[in-house]
Amino acid sequence: MSARDEEIRRVVAELDEHITKVEASVAVLKALLAEDDDEVSAAEDQRRRSGNR
Amino acid sequence: MNDVSGENLRRWRESQGWDVPRMARELRKAARDSGEDVAAHHGLVKMIPQWERGSRAPRERYRLLYLKIFQGALGDLSQRIALGVDFAIRLAEVRTRATRAPSADEIRGLEADALAKLRESMTPAEIRALTAETIAHLHEIVNNLAKLSALLEDEGSQGNWGKA
Repeated sequence: MSARDEEIRRVVAELDEHITKVEASVAVLKALLAEDDDEVSAAEDQRRRSGNR
Repeated sequence: MNDVSGENLRRWRESQGWDVPRMARELRKAARDSGEDVAAHHGLVKMIPQWERGSRAPRERYRLLYLKIFQGALGDLSQRIALGVDFAIRLAEVRTRATRAPSADEIRGLEADALAKLRESMTPAEIRALTAETIAHLHEIVNNLAKLSALLEDEGSQGNWGKA
């Protein structure tokens, strides 16, 4: 394997690592927003149920 | 191609950023170009996931069509970089993921939304730190894509990252 091929492998591995970290962070931020939405929905459900009584 | 697993068929497809209906269209197009008959589009859309899961093996004519489609896309690249088809698939996958990832502005938008609706699971400082770290990774991705582009002596690997 040439030095260029080794460098390509190294850059791709590094790129993969950075992309994985970005994907993970985006997942955390989206989960945080979804968590909020879930809580809002749960609160709305609770309100509706209370109103029906 | 008998030893190509269903998992590899999926990886080949995803390395091009194609969904199952697009893969079906490519198979039909390759068949049409060589004057062959293949299943209708909806039939292929059902069969492709079965092949990829390994619950059913593609018949020879379909295996040959896969080869025809992907030899062009991956074979040339793997020969150019002399690292093999597996590495060419990985490279194509990584580049596809890079082009699909959000821009720095989109990350900042998520940060603003998260800060506007604070919950107990993360403090504002943690959200800001996570965003800063993510944007730093985006810059590294831009640098790596540029290096990769230079190493492969091609253009177009920057994708959407110029805006990061």
